Amino acid sequence: MEARTRTYLEGRFGDYYRRSGVSLPPAADRREWGHIPWSAGATTMVRHQSLLDLGDLDDFLHRTAPRHVYFSSARFADPGAGSMDEKGWQSADLVFDLDADHLPGVDPEETSYVEMLAACKGELLNLLDVLDDDFGFEETTVVFSGGRGYHVHVRDPEVRSLDSEARREIVDYVRAIDVDRDGLIGTQSHQGTTRRVLRRRGGWGARVHTRLVDLAETLREIEEDAALERLRELDGIGEGRAETILGQLRHNFDAIRAGNVEAGGPGTRILVDALAEETIDDETAPIDEPVTTDTKRLIRLPGSLHGGSGLVVTPLSRAEIQGFRPLSDAIPERFRGRDIRITVTEPGAVTFDGDTFSIQEGEQSVEECLGVFLMTRGRAEKRTE
Amino acid sequence: MDPRYARYPFFEGAREAVREAELSPAALVRDGAPAVERGRERVERALMEGTVASETPRRWDTDTEVLSYPIARILVSLIDTPAAVEKYAVAEAATARERFDVDFAADDDLGRAGRARASHGEVLREFDIADAVRPERAEPPGSERRGASSRREPTHYWVGLGSYLDLAEAGWGQRWRLVNREVAAGEVRVTAGGLSRLLEAAVERRVASGLPFEVRGSDGGDAIAAALAPAVADLRELLNDHDAAGRTPVDAVVPALFPPCMRTLLQRARDDGDLPTTAEFSLTSFLVALGMDGADVRRLLDADGDTAERIGTRVEYLAERDGTQYPPPSCATMKAYGDCVDPDDRCETISHPLSYYTDAVREAGDVRDWREAAGEG
Repeated sequence: MEARTRTYLEGRFGDYYRRSGVSLPPAADRREWGHIPWSAGATTMVRHQSLLDLGDLDDFLHRTAPRHVYFSSARFADPGAGSMDEKGWQSADLVFDLDADHLPGVDPEETSYVEMLAACKGELLNLLDVLDDDFGFEETTVVFSGGRGYHVHVRDPEVRSLDSEARREIVDYVRAIDVDRDGLIGTQSHQGTTRRVLRRRGGWGARVHTRLVDLAETLREIEEDAALERLRELDGIGEGRAETILGQLRHNFDAIRAGNVEAGGPGTRILVDALAEETIDDETAPIDEPVTTDTKRLIRLPGSLHGGSGLVVTPLSRAEIQGFRPLSDAIPERFRGRDIRITVTEPGAVTFDGDTFSIQEGEQSVEECLGVFLMTRGRAEKRTE
Repeated sequence: MDPRYARYPFFEGAREAVREAELSPAALVRDGAPAVERGRERVERALMEGTVASETPRRWDTDTEVLSYPIARILVSLIDTPAAVEKYAVAEAATARERFDVDFAADDDLGRAGRARASHGEVLREFDIADAVRPERAEPPGSERRGASSRREPTHYWVGLGSYLDLAEAGWGQRWRLVNREVAAGEVRVTAGGLSRLLEAAVERRVASGLPFEVRGSDGGDAIAAALAPAVADLRELLNDHDAAGRTPVDAVVPALFPPCMRTLLQRARDDGDLPTTAEFSLTSFLVALGMDGADVRRLLDADGDTAERIGTRVEYLAERDGTQYPPPSCATMKAYGDCVDPDDRCETISHPLSYYTDAVREAGDVRDWREAAGEG
């Protein structure tokens, strides 16, 4: 990046912060703050600062106009102290990070930025489903990272004191790592005999059970041929077995709804195994483990600008998530409505502000937000106006 | 002092009571109070037997029991090895858990806790998890698990996610991993036995917290350390001997060496075919702990038909859980269920039927496994 470009971006980031009104996270004065300035080498972070060191946050951001801004998930007795020991760790938000670069079945080389972000949103919805339904968290904040994914901050009091080991249990749960597939089925005694039943009152057993009941309901209603075909799509179920299972699903629906997997004979067991695989494939979320288990992590500040895209790190209400289009909705208003001159150094396809187009090499005039986007991503340099 | 504190001297209230009684450890040690001897026994039993219950409970009154706890903590601090702290905390917790189980069962039968007993609610409040634990509503008839029919105590509880993660450790086995739990709306489902295990962990943590502390450094502290030096030296030696000898696992099945309670249950099972649920559970969990599988247990019990099938499932269920969730009951629990019968001299020296058996086998030396004998016959 040329010095002129850097100076320009620094100036405009400062202008953005003049009126951004970035809101402070709860207990902001007990958190560590860090930022990466435009001036120095892009990777040098200024950290171990307390809010006291920064002063008024808006004013600090306007004055300093950092390239990236972070705050700690942890709360400390003395956040400005230079070492972790001296800081005095008190608690930490539980943070989840979904990164579009690390999604199963999505090749970053082959997939466009927009498609990756869309896939990432699907995973975000899976994650929220587990956080809401299974964990019952109430203080969750969802944030578009401004770059390649989403963050979720959880601040319910009962999780803030958890250590890394406990947080790893949460990660493994969300990703269904080490789930004991045989253990999804438990035994239950019933009038002197023993039944094998899906452990359906919660957890992955309940998720498999929901899927089983949904499937049984669907299969009861559709044509025989279509029903058999649906069953044969599942692992380990062939022609003959599909017919047996279908018969059992239709005749023993109530038993299956009660979680009894013996009612259907061995076929039901195979069906459950196949559905368990489907459930785990579809309902887990590939959260980044080190982010969640690290109780001292610095996280990007919601409301700040991402120095690698010029987009706003955008907090999202639950209602906004479904319709949220990161590459349009996260564009700062401040950078709209006027054109600037840039030299494109890396031409090619760009998706931005609801459009996909090809951009030519060389000097040209573009709307400022696009210019900022291209410059922060290293595809253009600033020209004099 | 509240007689409950004799059973649970690590309760906050006990600590308060000791403070208010103005009986300083220094004075107790100086005067050679009975609490000192009992405190020493407490640590010795913890290191050797994994329990802190006295071998001669009638010798000690409530105050002595309560005061022996701070003395024991001083002794453990003076021994000053991580192994001593850990063994001591584990033993306090295991003993507390046995007592909780007895108290909660009594709580249930009488509708309220007796004077010396702690109720379920009190214990949850003591560890600040009363709001995080709720019993599961009864299932529709016909779906109860073991023991549910003979007790009104709930078979399952729901524990708040934070408390569960705080207390349970992944090292306890697959079953305890969150990913393998029924989790819904911020709560984790555990069996009544599982909740007991969590409470045991809470006790262990409380006991271990602050240990070891610096005893010396003041005139009073130096005097205590000097007076207790011989006891500390003995305990250190015991700890070393014990660790060197290790624990030889007993895997031979020799029914003749079973404790009287288990011999009696075994005889009843063979004669009558069926045992009451709790008794059958006690016996099968004991046999599973010896490493017997379903076929062995059925053969030993001469079980056939429905009984054989039920026992097979029970053994499978217990074995699946590595014994972590349903260890065989202790002497205290056997007594509470009225299954402790004809105790003999050896019973006086142990607090768990398994210890009885381990000791008996070790003492007998060369023993023949019942399975080999049965196989030949």
